[in-house]
Amino acid sequence: MPCLTVNGVEIELDDDGFMIDPDLWNEDVARALASSEGISKLKEDHWKVVGFLRDYFKQYHLAPMVRKLCQETGCSLRYIYELFPSGPAQGACKLAGLPKPTGCV
Amino acid sequence: MPEYNGMVQPVRATPQELSKIFVEAVPDEQKPEKAVEYLDSIRKKFRSFVMAMESCVKCGQCAENCHTYLGTRDPNNIPANRTELIRKIYRRYFTLEGRWFGKLVGAEDISLDVLEQWYSYFYQCSQCRRCAHVCPFGIDTCEVTFIGRQILHWLGIAPKLHATTAGGMYKTGNHMTLPKPGIIDTLEFLAEEVVDIYGAEIEFPVDKPDSDILYIPSSADFSLNEYTLMGAGLFFNYIGANWTIPSTVTEAGNFGFLFDQYHTQRSNVNKLLDAAHELGIKKIVWGECGHGWRAAKMYIPSLADRPVRWPITHIHDEIADLIRKGELKIDPAKNYQPVTLHDPCNYVRACGLNDNMRTIINAVTSDFREMTPNGADNFCCGGGSGILFDDPEMYQRRIQLSQKKADQVRATGIGKDGNGILCAPCSICKAQLYPMVEEHELGVEVKGLVDLVGKALVWK
Repeated sequence: MPCLTVNGVEIELDDDGFMIDPDLWNEDVARALASSEGISKLKEDHWKVVGFLRDYFKQYHLAPMVRKLCQETGCSLRYIYELFPSGPAQGACKLAGLPKPTGCV
Repeated sequence: MPEYNGMVQPVRATPQELSKIFVEAVPDEQKPEKAVEYLDSIRKKFRSFVMAMESCVKCGQCAENCHTYLGTRDPNNIPANRTELIRKIYRRYFTLEGRWFGKLVGAEDISLDVLEQWYSYFYQCSQCRRCAHVCPFGIDTCEVTFIGRQILHWLGIAPKLHATTAGGMYKTGNHMTLPKPGIIDTLEFLAEEVVDIYGAEIEFPVDKPDSDILYIPSSADFSLNEYTLMGAGLFFNYIGANWTIPSTVTEAGNFGFLFDQYHTQRSNVNKLLDAAHELGIKKIVWGECGHGWRAAKMYIPSLADRPVRWPITHIHDEIADLIRKGELKIDPAKNYQPVTLHDPCNYVRACGLNDNMRTIINAVTSDFREMTPNGADNFCCGGGSGILFDDPEMYQRRIQLSQKKADQVRATGIGKDGNGILCAPCSICKAQLYPMVEEHELGVEVKGLVDLVGKALVWK
């Protein structure tokens, strides 16, 4: 099982690099996950997307519909791909510490 | 493990993930022996399988008709050869000539290497049945893939994607693990969107008792295919239906059908029937999901643990029926862009939806162009049977598997001006084609068929 060590804490990841335990998430973990995704620096818009994903997940225990994510953050899907090159699920959800989506996506 | 001895393979489910779908992996040293034992029990039950084992004369008709072979040019992806991966074992253990003459007659001892071959090639077959459609002997190679995957699953070898998706169904009643509050929040959001986009006020009732229609959407519609869900909502509200979506089975798909027909598929069926009973409905209407519709239409009657009291139809049947009766007011000019239809394999080669899809698309669009071949002769999108793997090696393979589809779409010319619509009314097709139309630079947007209906309806 792959692991990430952030500030001395071992963070377990699944084979696709998603966090096993979302409760261990913090901003430093997001930065470490970002570099594994090839994102060198997290800008304000990155944090806006990640923040919305985390708040939504805390409330509803799922990732929001992509359309809702775009509306609530004011980011177009194209812009989200610019921010997170692997896309909303593989990129943004991973950085926000959400589990990898299952099903036909 | 994306590769084994040069063969691509999907990432595997962990023992924990398998345990959630009630499988305990067989230890490696026992796997070969158990595989033969499982094969023996299955061959005694399925004449279709025995026919595939005994009748193939290797005429080669299937080769050029398989998009997987056309995209990869790997000889083991020729359906007759893929079947041979299991036939050589069948021959060795269950035929006289194989037991006596072994390799001389193409028989081979079972081994872990053989099982690794099965895992690679039975998960490159998309169970699309185009080979069965053209086989002069009527051999249905899809049945062989079903059985290959089933045996692998019992041994504890299944893709992570399939196992976790099936696990979502046990956990929450849908593949995407949507809990009820999330389902309701998403539907409320979509109702607001419908007002903004279509100027129509509609409702998406959830778990409403004594509804006439139980609508089973694909859970992927709650994530990526929002226009399909809005289209269904628009349609049901337009006709004034007393309908509801069940929160316990918010899933048109049934991944059990693809790799575990004994336990996962059957338990999903009975979960649906429980929901239908509890909500006191009169009819079940299925959403856009290819494999799920075949699993529902063709397998529910035989897998159900009770008499099935409700008619089960597809939303395309419902829409086409009302179009033919002239009961929907439709403006096809609202979908003026050039559009082509990708026929989901399970709809046209297993469920007879061919005509109804065309009744609808001809009514709701103004520039429809058939791709060639189409209907029952159509090629798979390359994602069929859930081979939507996204690790880098398998993703590259998906691009190859969609090559034939890309060629077909390009030949229609719909993407020439960059505003074409590729209508693909199935969640697996959509999930495969969203990235693939970009990879192949087709200049089209992928949509469902119900999406186009929703847009074309004229409200009084």
